[in-house]
Amino acid sequence: MEEAREEFVEYYAKNMGGVLGWFKARVYTIERWLYGAHRITGILIVLFMLPHFYSTGWHPGLWGDFILGIIVTFHIANGIRLILAELGFAVGKPLLVKKPSQRPVSLEGSQRYLVALALLLFIVLAVIWAYYALIVQAAT
Amino acid sequence: MSTEVKEYALPPEVLEETVKASEELWKPIKKVKFRIYKYNPKRDYAPHWEEYELEVSKGMTILDALLEIKGEKDHTLGMRYSCRMGLCGSCAMMINGKQMLACQTRVIEAAGDGDVIELRPLENFPVTRDLATDFSAFFEKHKTVKPWIIRDEEELDNPTGPYKQTIEEYARYYQFTDCIKCGACLSACPTAATDYEYLGPQALAQAYRYLVDSRDDGLDERIAVVDVAHGCWRCHFAGSCSDVCPRGVDPAQGIQLLKGLIIRRKFGFRPHKPTEALPAKIAKKKEQ
Ligand code: HEM
Ligand code: SF4
Ligand code: SF4
Ligand code: FES
Repeated sequence: MEEAREEFVEYYAKNMGGVLGWFKARVYTIERWLYGAHRITGILIVLFMLPHFYSTGWHPGLWGDFILGIIVTFHIANGIRLILAELGFAVGKPLLVKKPSQRPVSLEGSQRYLVALALLLFIVLAVIWAYYALIVQAAT
Repeated sequence: MSTEVKEYALPPEVLEETVKASEELWKPIKKVKFRIYKYNPKRDYAPHWEEYELEVSKGMTILDALLEIKGEKDHTLGMRYSCRMGLCGSCAMMINGKQMLACQTRVIEAAGDGDVIELRPLENFPVTRDLATDFSAFFEKHKTVKPWIIRDEEELDNPTGPYKQTIEEYARYYQFTDCIKCGACLSACPTAATDYEYLGPQALAQAYRYLVDSRDDGLDERIAVVDVAHGCWRCHFAGSCSDVCPRGVDPAQGIQLLKGLIIRRKFGFRPHKPTEALPAKIAKKKEQ
């Protein structure tokens, strides 16, 4: 009983967000949603690759293929955005003058165009993939 | 010389207006319910929530409300504050689920259309008691990035001239100097939610602030601290740190620029512009 109590207290006293903390995006900006989505898609691709490596002939099925397409195309499109942003492109320059309640340049400056472009690229790639997965594949 | 003292008085109509505006600001206009996280790790098994109702006015901040609750309703309430004006960085907490300074947030604005305000201690920080959290690890992380100008001892003891900076050199780091170490950014960071040892946005942004300072000589020393497993590569640009920063520091930008700098250095490019303005470094160059 005493041990259980200690574990309990440790959990609450540490006050860490935990894995659920990755996805607490509601009150933050779109970049936080993309962070959660990028992580989930990355992990799902790894999970898909396990049976795929075991037997390369394995296939997730017609709709499985479609869903895999959404996951992979999102990861690629957003991954390109992340590579650029994390090399310091499009995050803007540090400010010399701030407004009284300055909003961050890295989020609300040109990086937002990068977000829009990444989402656009995602939709284009996903539609192309879906076309092949659902129509071309199904016909053969 | 005349000893007459001139009296300054506001014109009556201005005075009246000022008094009216002040009355307007402090007149109770709404009842708001405060749901506050109560937890004492030394005594309690688990946290619980306590509710208090207050009459609030337009000018009242969350900190004002907390002090009123502490003074009149619950003397055991634990919290941290000091300056009451957004400068000391003591009072950051989760206000309706988002990290904000209690002294800089008005109750009316935080409540919006609703009439409930939920207050929790900063997430990702160990709870000391109720709304007060333990910052020792956070300050330790700040210290590891060596947040001071690193120079040759010889040069420090016998300076050969002033440390001049151009406005461009100043602009490279000024934005990051506004940090008040309030911890809001580390608390909002999703990476810190599962990695207690992650240096965090505050420390990494400060590392960048000193790295690009033209007076600083500690590039190699400091990069050895941030270019590690729990360092800058753990940041995946969720941007929540910049979103919540009450001082417009934009730590996410600093970290991305830091990563760019480290990569450029790894590929043998100049990490950032050399510093022509400094006497000691010029002297060193001429010797070579
Ligand atoms: C062209 C294809 C791909 C691109 C452009 C790409 C891009 C990226 C980038 C840039 C990151 C780092 C994210 C960051 O630092 O914020 C990342 C993370 C990751 N990727 Fe990919 N990736 C691709 C394919 C894959 C594949 C095939 C897998 C599965 C084996 C995968 C699994 C992951 C995982 C698990 C993460 C970690 C997620 C995280 O830490 O949040 N990626 N990807
Ligand atoms: S960077 Fe901003 S949010 Fe983080 S500690 Fe400094 S002032 Fe607070
Ligand atoms: S930008 Fe980096 S440091 Fe800031 S919240 Fe996101 S992951 Fe954390
Ligand atoms: S009390 Fe000092 S920042 Fe709020």
